[in-house]
Amino acid sequence: MAVWILIMLALPLAAAGGGAVAGDRPVSGWLSVAAAAGSFAAALVVVFAFDAVRGRHALGTAFFIDGLSGVFLIAVAFVYAVVAVYSAGYLLSGIGHVRLRRWYWPLLNVFGLALLATPVMANLGVLWVAVELTTVVSALLVTSEGSDESLEAGWKYIVIGSAGLAVGLLGIVLIYAAGIPSLGDRYTPTYTTLAHAAPHLNASLVRTGFAFALVGFGTKVGLVPMHAWLPDAHSEGPSPVSAMLSGALLAAALYAVLRIGAIVQRTVGPSYVHVLLLVFGGLSLLLAAFFVLRQSNYKRLLAYSSIEHMGIVALGLGIGGPIAAYGAFFHVIVHAAGKTLAFFGAGDLLSRYETRDADEVRGVIRLAPFTGVMVLLGALAITGVPPFGIFRSELLIVTGGFSQSKYALAGLLVVLVNVAFVGVYQLFHRMVISPGEAKAVDRARLSRPEQPLMAVAMLASLAVVLVLGVWIPSPLNRLLHAAATVIGGQV
Amino acid sequence: MPTAPHYDFVHATAALVAILALLSGLALLLVKQVHEQVRVYAVLSAFAAGYTLLVGIHRVDAALIVLAVWTALIKVILIPISIDRAVTRQVSEHEVPLFVQVPMSLLIGVTLTGLAYWSASALPIHGALLPTPALGMPLSLVLVGFFFMITRQNVISQIVGLLTLENGVFIATVAIAPGLPFAIGFLLLLDLLPAVVFYGVFARLIAARAKTTSIEDMAVLRG
Repeated sequence: MAVWILIMLALPLAAAGGGAVAGDRPVSGWLSVAAAAGSFAAALVVVFAFDAVRGRHALGTAFFIDGLSGVFLIAVAFVYAVVAVYSAGYLLSGIGHVRLRRWYWPLLNVFGLALLATPVMANLGVLWVAVELTTVVSALLVTSEGSDESLEAGWKYIVIGSAGLAVGLLGIVLIYAAGIPSLGDRYTPTYTTLAHAAPHLNASLVRTGFAFALVGFGTKVGLVPMHAWLPDAHSEGPSPVSAMLSGALLAAALYAVLRIGAIVQRTVGPSYVHVLLLVFGGLSLLLAAFFVLRQSNYKRLLAYSSIEHMGIVALGLGIGGPIAAYGAFFHVIVHAAGKTLAFFGAGDLLSRYETRDADEVRGVIRLAPFTGVMVLLGALAITGVPPFGIFRSELLIVTGGFSQSKYALAGLLVVLVNVAFVGVYQLFHRMVISPGEAKAVDRARLSRPEQPLMAVAMLASLAVVLVLGVWIPSPLNRLLHAAATVIGGQV
Repeated sequence: MPTAPHYDFVHATAALVAILALLSGLALLLVKQVHEQVRVYAVLSAFAAGYTLLVGIHRVDAALIVLAVWTALIKVILIPISIDRAVTRQVSEHEVPLFVQVPMSLLIGVTLTGLAYWSASALPIHGALLPTPALGMPLSLVLVGFFFMITRQNVISQIVGLLTLENGVFIATVAIAPGLPFAIGFLLLLDLLPAVVFYGVFARLIAARAKTTSIEDMAVLRG
């Protein structure tokens, strides 16, 4: 298994090196596509060919894979792969506007490397380093269009994100300190070491440590009220970067919260972790659902939708129990696919209409039918309309809420998801289907033929979110059950 | 009959360094000039390095001594000089407009310090060479750093605030988990990575905004 993990991590590193040497020549893009596809294949092997659901170390205690890390690894590897394909079409054809083309590919691949490393690292310190690395490279990617707005977004992101991660590190240090009386003061804080010692850790230090970790890493997840960076960064970065931020980065940061939470609940019981997740998840869902209603910038709307979905996952895990937890982890995967589709569609729209303002976009279905269909299906997918996978995951979370007799939470989820549906669908419907003329657009640019690689990336994301809505393959089903068991505190 | 705790020279010096570090953090709130803010940060970092050195000597831990030297090199010399040069060469204005005036800032800073000590006293934890509550001083720096970041409408001041906050986390790590085996590796990253990015974004920000580091105009993205 170690060999496959090393291959998975080495490929983006090699592509980043190759990209740094080759600059903005096409070979950088092709190298990246090959590396990302290879990493995705290697991730599938790591998770499914080595019975990851049992929880295994590899390369001594350097790596650790179990159901929890497997779910997140699959999600980030998929997003990295489709984003690389989409980026190749977006940049190599000259459709996308990225001023710092020279560094786009190296940064994207280092971003991919850090995201892939996050779920496979076996100890809390290295986990923190991996998440910190995602901040550094993705902040530069956010600014890569070079506009004043993207600089502002990148600045807010790096400042708020770094401050959050410093707080997250303090949380890790407190949890480490909680283990010193039983493990000595020079132990390596692997998850398994801490999980075994968990019943003997100091409960008040562990509680405080988790609160810091949740606030710190929660900043990167975009949980309210630490979300201020997210709408700006997601809306102002290049669209493939937005997809990577939304589908993979938020998930990777959430993984860090849950990995620490899995240890914490063995010390203090699951209710403490659940209550905190419920509070932050509920707040995120509440605020995002209503902010979605008032957006006219369609990329910003998708950003608020990401906050909403992270809120749904946190709420599902906070509800607890096997059904809701299964639904929450399933939601991580289908949200990754659904949101990449939505951002890819938004990127295609942006390249045609050259505006983020939905009021200036009309008649997409007539002028660019494929894009129109993809954009609309993306909107339906992320709002949880059947038969898309997000409908299934949300239904599972609601069912889990009822099975745990948490009727109010399940009801709140149903109401707020429907509020968000209204906000998202009415805006995308207006742009795609409603009659009317777009403002001052170049008709030739607007109705240009589809770029094949961008179309392939969109279709791949659509296929995943659609197929998973009607069929969950047996290995994935086992993985999701295993993940639900880990956060249930029964490693 | 209870006896008074025994403090040797290293303990006494460490306690003094910790107090001076805390006072440096609070002194940051008094300073309007960007240059001076950077210098106060360098002084604070020197105390952080000094504290690490004392813990390293006390524990006879070569890794911590190396970390202290590395911290001094990066935080006391390299980062302040780099920021100072950037300020001198590229920015026309050197005084930061204050969102909260100095007396009120100081009052809030002292209140945050009290809050940090009060919160830390609830945690059952002993710090290497630090008087109880061990986390009081590091948490104070974290809160003061946050407050400084929020209330100074300037890119460089925000960097200084963030680095102050990070110094608080650094001292907390050395104090309560000095044996953390990967400490050197990830603390170096903690030091270097944000700095590298800050300069990249910062340089472009300056170029894009016609030689100003004020963030008062950075309010396009709202809602």
